[in-house]
Amino acid sequence: MSMTSLKSMLAQAAVRGVTEARAAIFGHVLNPTGQRSAHKILRKKFIGEKVASWYPNDIQKEDPLVVARKEQDRLSKLEMLKRRGKGAPKKGHGKRAAKRNK
Amino acid sequence: MGLNMSDNRNLQDQKRRLLAEKFELRRKLYKAFAKDTDLPNDVREKFRGKLADLPRNSSFTRVMNRCVFTGRARSVYQMFRVSRIVFRDLASGGLLHGVKKSSW
Repeated sequence: MSMTSLKSMLAQAAVRGVTEARAAIFGHVLNPTGQRSAHKILRKKFIGEKVASWYPNDIQKEDPLVVARKEQDRLSKLEMLKRRGKGAPKKGHGKRAAKRNK
Repeated sequence: MGLNMSDNRNLQDQKRRLLAEKFELRRKLYKAFAKDTDLPNDVREKFRGKLADLPRNSSFTRVMNRCVFTGRARSVYQMFRVSRIVFRDLASGGLLHGVKKSSW
């Protein structure tokens, strides 16, 4: 009985020595008792770059000619509406403001 | 180009993604310090406060994988970044490389 427990103690000591040596060589963080450790949070890799690159860049935004043309279209549309008298009302004259001020 | 409702959602999401990327390191550090059992309790409290002071939109949990084409928030596959409806349209049109209807 004591022979088997002595043998198991020796085996345990040998395994512990091996794990400690391995950790010393490769720089592992050991936690033989399994207590709560901050290493669990620190060991994960960073994901920020991958997350930030989900939406593809719109190449139309980089071409200045296209951007200028679109802006011109928007402005001319506004001009047309204003000519017809359908442009945006001045501040404080909209439907809601009129109702509030009445 | 920012004219639809879905584009507004996508812009918000992109804003959150950029913030999350910017604060990621800090966030991880504060969280790790706050949870370290070897530190005294008041130090842990201090870091817990610092973690709470970070802007809410810098959390990864607030980021939502929206469909790149339509802005749909549900049923978006990470592999293609599109929702199931757009996926079906693209795949049926042969625009997705290596994707074909399975039958066996």
